[in-house]
Amino acid sequence: MSELYDLLDGIHILTLLILLPLIGAVLTFLAGKRVKLAKGLALGFSAITLIMATLMMLGFDFSGNFGIYQFQYEESFSWIPSLGISYVVGVDGISVPMVWLTALLCFLAILFSWDVGHRTKEYMGLMLVLEVGVIGVFMALDYFMFYIFWEVVLIPMFFLIAIWGGPRREYAAIKFFIYTHVASVVMLVAIFAMYFEAAPHLIGGPSFSMIQIQSVNGFFPAGFQAIVFLALFFGFGVKMPIVPFHTWLPDAHVEAPTAGSVLLAGLLLKMGSYGIIRVAIPTLPEGALEWQWLLIAVAILSIMYGAFASLAQKDLKKMVAFSSIGHMGMVLLGFATFSTLGIAAGVFQMFAHGLITAVLFMVCGIVQHIAGTREISKLGGLSEKMPYYATFVMIGFMASLGLPGLIGFAAEFPIFFSFAFMNGVWNWWILLPIISVAITAAYYIWSMQRTLFGPLTTKIDTSHLHDVSWYEAAPLIALCVLIVLFGLFPSLIYDFIRPFAAPIAGLLGVV
Amino acid sequence: MDYTAILPIIVLAGLAVLVPAVAAITKSNKATAAVALIGIFTSIALVLLWFMDGANPAYFPDQASQVVRLDAFSGLFMLVFLSVAAYVVLASVGFASKDKHAGEYYALIMLATSGMMVVASSLDLITLFVGIELTSLSSYALVAFRKTDRRGAEAATKYFIYGGLSSALALFGISLIYGVSSAWVQAQPDPTLYNPLAFQTIGSAVAAMGSMDPILFLATVMLIAGFGFKVAIVPFHMWAPDVYEGAPTTITAMLASGSKKMGFVAFFKLFLIGLVAIKADWALLIGIIAIVTMTYGNLVAISQTNIKRMLAYSSIAQAGYILIALPVATISDPSQFANLTVGQYGLAGGIFQIVTHAFMKGGAFIIVATLSTAALGENITDYKGLSKRAPLMAFAMAIMLFSLAGIPPLAGFASKFYLFSGPVYAWGTPGNEWMIWLAIAGVLNSALSLYYYARVVKYMYVEKGPTEKLRVPLSMAVAVAICVVAVIAIGLYSGPVIDACQQAARALLPA
Repeated sequence: MSELYDLLDGIHILTLLILLPLIGAVLTFLAGKRVKLAKGLALGFSAITLIMATLMMLGFDFSGNFGIYQFQYEESFSWIPSLGISYVVGVDGISVPMVWLTALLCFLAILFSWDVGHRTKEYMGLMLVLEVGVIGVFMALDYFMFYIFWEVVLIPMFFLIAIWGGPRREYAAIKFFIYTHVASVVMLVAIFAMYFEAAPHLIGGPSFSMIQIQSVNGFFPAGFQAIVFLALFFGFGVKMPIVPFHTWLPDAHVEAPTAGSVLLAGLLLKMGSYGIIRVAIPTLPEGALEWQWLLIAVAILSIMYGAFASLAQKDLKKMVAFSSIGHMGMVLLGFATFSTLGIAAGVFQMFAHGLITAVLFMVCGIVQHIAGTREISKLGGLSEKMPYYATFVMIGFMASLGLPGLIGFAAEFPIFFSFAFMNGVWNWWILLPIISVAITAAYYIWSMQRTLFGPLTTKIDTSHLHDVSWYEAAPLIALCVLIVLFGLFPSLIYDFIRPFAAPIAGLLGVV
Repeated sequence: MDYTAILPIIVLAGLAVLVPAVAAITKSNKATAAVALIGIFTSIALVLLWFMDGANPAYFPDQASQVVRLDAFSGLFMLVFLSVAAYVVLASVGFASKDKHAGEYYALIMLATSGMMVVASSLDLITLFVGIELTSLSSYALVAFRKTDRRGAEAATKYFIYGGLSSALALFGISLIYGVSSAWVQAQPDPTLYNPLAFQTIGSAVAAMGSMDPILFLATVMLIAGFGFKVAIVPFHMWAPDVYEGAPTTITAMLASGSKKMGFVAFFKLFLIGLVAIKADWALLIGIIAIVTMTYGNLVAISQTNIKRMLAYSSIAQAGYILIALPVATISDPSQFANLTVGQYGLAGGIFQIVTHAFMKGGAFIIVATLSTAALGENITDYKGLSKRAPLMAFAMAIMLFSLAGIPPLAGFASKFYLFSGPVYAWGTPGNEWMIWLAIAGVLNSALSLYYYARVVKYMYVEKGPTEKLRVPLSMAVAVAICVVAVIAIGLYSGPVIDACQQAARALLPA
C-alpha cells in the first residue's frame, strides 16, 4: 500500500466523501437570499469532493490478485448491534470509478446550472444531497446503509423534477418516485430474506454486512437463490431500467431539468446495474446461473427496444433518454456473459455511459435554452450559428454510437466480443445487438444531419441564436476531453476493474 | 403493599382531579397546562426511575392476584402514552387558548392517559376493560369539547355510539371467556389460586380445551370486533375518519397516537397470552384483516381532499401494518437473536412501529392543528406554497409525511424496516410460509402510500400559493419540534429504541 493510501485511510477518506457534500448541502440551504454564496458553496464543496475522490482513486491499489469482496479504505462502526447493523464503507475496483464519476458529474452539473435563477439555493443544496446518496450507494457495505442511501437519492431527485422540471413535471416526478420506490421495497424484502437465511451460519449472530452474508452463501439452497435473485433483479432492474420496467424513464428524463437529467442518466441508472454486480451476482451465484437466460433475453430486448424507440422520437431529449435504455441493456449483456471480460466491460460501459450521456443531455438542454425547442424537425443548420455547440454534439453522438477511438467503443466492443464467444463457442445471438448498433448509428447520424447541418432552419426565430456560454462550455470540454482520453487509453479505468471482475466470474465458474 | 406498579398512574390521575381546581383558582390557561405538564412529567420520571432501578417487574396488589404489573412492556407503553399526552397538552396551550373550561380539558386528557396506562399494565381482562372505558369516556367528552362546533358534536355522537357498541361487544366476549376459564379454574385442585380473568389463566384454560370450541369462537369474534373498533381496522373503521376530522385537532392527535395504540396493547395481551393456544384459528384471519386494512386505508387515502381525513385513512393503513406483528408473534421457534424467539422478534417490530407512529402521526396532526390556529384551512389544497408561508412548519410536515411513508433515514423507515423483516423471518420457519405475503403486502402498500404523502409535499414545496406569512403559537411550535426531533433521532440512532422494544416483547411473551 502506498503512502498516499495510508494518509487517506488515516483521515477516513470515504466517510469524508459522504460528509463533504452533506456539509455543503446544509451550508447551501442556510445561505438564505445570497444566491451567489449558495452557488459558490455548492461549487466549492463539490470541487473539494472531486479532488478528494481523485486522490482516493490515485491511492487505490489495484495491482495483484484479489478475492471476492476485497475492499480498501474500509471503515466500520457498530450502529444497531441488536440487529447486526453497522456503518461499513469500503471500495473496490468496481466502485472506485463509480465514486469518481459521481463526484465528477455532480461538480460539472452544478457548474452547468450556473444560470438557475429560480430558488437557486434549494436547487444547489438538493444536488449535493443527491451526491451524498449516490456516493453512499457506491461505498456502502452494509445492506441497511445501502438501502438508506438508495432511498435518500429519491427525495432530491423528486424535488429536482417537481420544481425545476418541464411542463409535465408533477406527473413525471411522482411517477418516478413511486415506480422506483416500489422496486426498492421489493429489493428490501429480498435483503431480509438473505439476512435471515445467512443468520444461522454466522458466528457473530445476524448481520446486515454484505461481506458476511456473501461469505456464507454456500449454505443458500438453489431454490432460495433463484427466488431471491429474481426479486433483486427486479429491484435493481427497474432502476437501470430494463424493458419492460422502463416506462418511468422517458417521463422523468424529459421533464427533469438538464442537470437533473445528467445525474439521473449518468448516475442513478448506474445504481441499478451496480446493485446487480455488487449484490445480486456475487451473493447469489447459483440464482444468477439459473436466470442467465433471462438476463441475456432482457438485455437484448432492452438494447433492441432502446434502439428502435430512439429511432422513432421527434424530440431530441426523448431520443437521448431512450438511447439510455439501450446502453444500459449493453451493461446487462456484459454482466450476463459471466466472464471476466464481460463483467469488466459492463462496468466500464457504466462509466462510459455516465460521461457520454452527460454530454448528450447537456447539449439537449442548451438547444432547448437557446433555440426554445428540442424538436428535431424544427431545427436545422445550427452548426452555422453555433459551431462550438455543433462540435460538442458531434463528439457526444459519435461516442454514443461507438466510434472507435472514443470511450463508447472501448466499452461496447469487449461486451460484444465476450457475448459472441460466450462459453467459448460462437454465439449467433450476437447478431441482434450488432444490428442495434447499426440502428443507433442511424438515429444519431440522421438527427445530427437534420439538426446541425443543411440550411439554417426557418421554423424558429434564429436571429438570437448564440453559441454556448462559458459555464456550459467548461463542463462539456472537460467531458469531451475525458471521452477521448479514456477512449484512447481505456486501460486507465480497466486496470481498476479487471482484478475485481475476475473473482466474480470465478465465482460463477466462468473465466 | 408495594405501590411501585401503580404509582405513575395514581400521580397522573390524582393531578388530573386537581387540575380543574387550579383552573378555577388561577383562571389561567397557561398555569393549568403547567400543572398538567407537571403531573405528566412526574409520571414519566417515576417510570424512568423504575427503569433505572433495574426494571424488576412490580406487581399490584401482589403477584398471585394477577391484576397489574409494571414491566418492560407496560413501562415502554406508559412512556409512549405519556409523551403523547405531554406534546398534546403543550400544543393545546396554543390551540385551546380561547376555549372555556381549560381545566376540564386538561383533566380529561390526563384521565384518558391514565386509562391507557392501566391497559398497558393490566394482567387481567377486567382491568384492561376498565382502562379502555376510562380512556373512551374521557375521549368522547374531549371530541365533543367544542360543543358549539357542529362537526365536533356530530363526531362525538358518532364516536360515542360506535364506541359504546364496541365496548358492549368486547364485554360480551369477555363474559364468554369468563365462562370458559371459570369452568377450568373450578376443576383445579385449589380454585382460589387463580384469577379467572387473568390472561395467564385464560391461556391455560384455552390450552386445556385444545381445539376451537363454539363458545370460544364466538368470544374471539366478539373481541376482534370490540377491540377492532378501537384500533380502527377494516371493517370496523367507519367511525375513524369522521371522528378524526370533527374532533379538535390536538385531540385527534391523541386519538391517533394514544388511544389507538391502547387497542393494540389489548390485542397483544389477549391474543398472544390468552388465546395463543388456538393461534391456528385466528392467525390467518388476523393476517387477512391486516392486509385488507392497509390496502383499504391507503387506497381511500389517495382520494381524500381534507388533510385530517387523509391522515385518518393513513392511520387505518398504519393499523394494518402494525397488525402484521400479531400473527408473526405467535411463532415460538428460537431465533438467531440473543434471547429472542421469532415471535418476540416479530412483536418487537410491531411495538417499534407503534412507538414511531405515536410521534410521526401525532406530530402530523399537531402540525395541522398549529396551522389551523394560524387560520390555514384543512383542505390539502390550502397547503399550496406553505414552504414560503411557514418554512419550518412545512419542513416539519415533510419530515412527518416522509417518515410515515418509510423514507430513510427517518424513524418511520427504521420501524417499518424492522416490522416488515418479521414476516420474512417467519417465512423461513416451518408452517408459516404464508406470512411472506404479509411482508410483500406491507412493502407494496408502503410504496402506494408514498403517492398521497408525496402529493402533500408537492403542494407545500412545488405549487405556488398565497404569500403572506403565517404566525404560529410558540407552545405549539415546541410540541412540533419535540416530534420532529424524536422522528429524526429515532431514525438515526434506533439501537436503544430497538433494544427497549425487544425487552418489551420479551416481557410480554415469555419464551
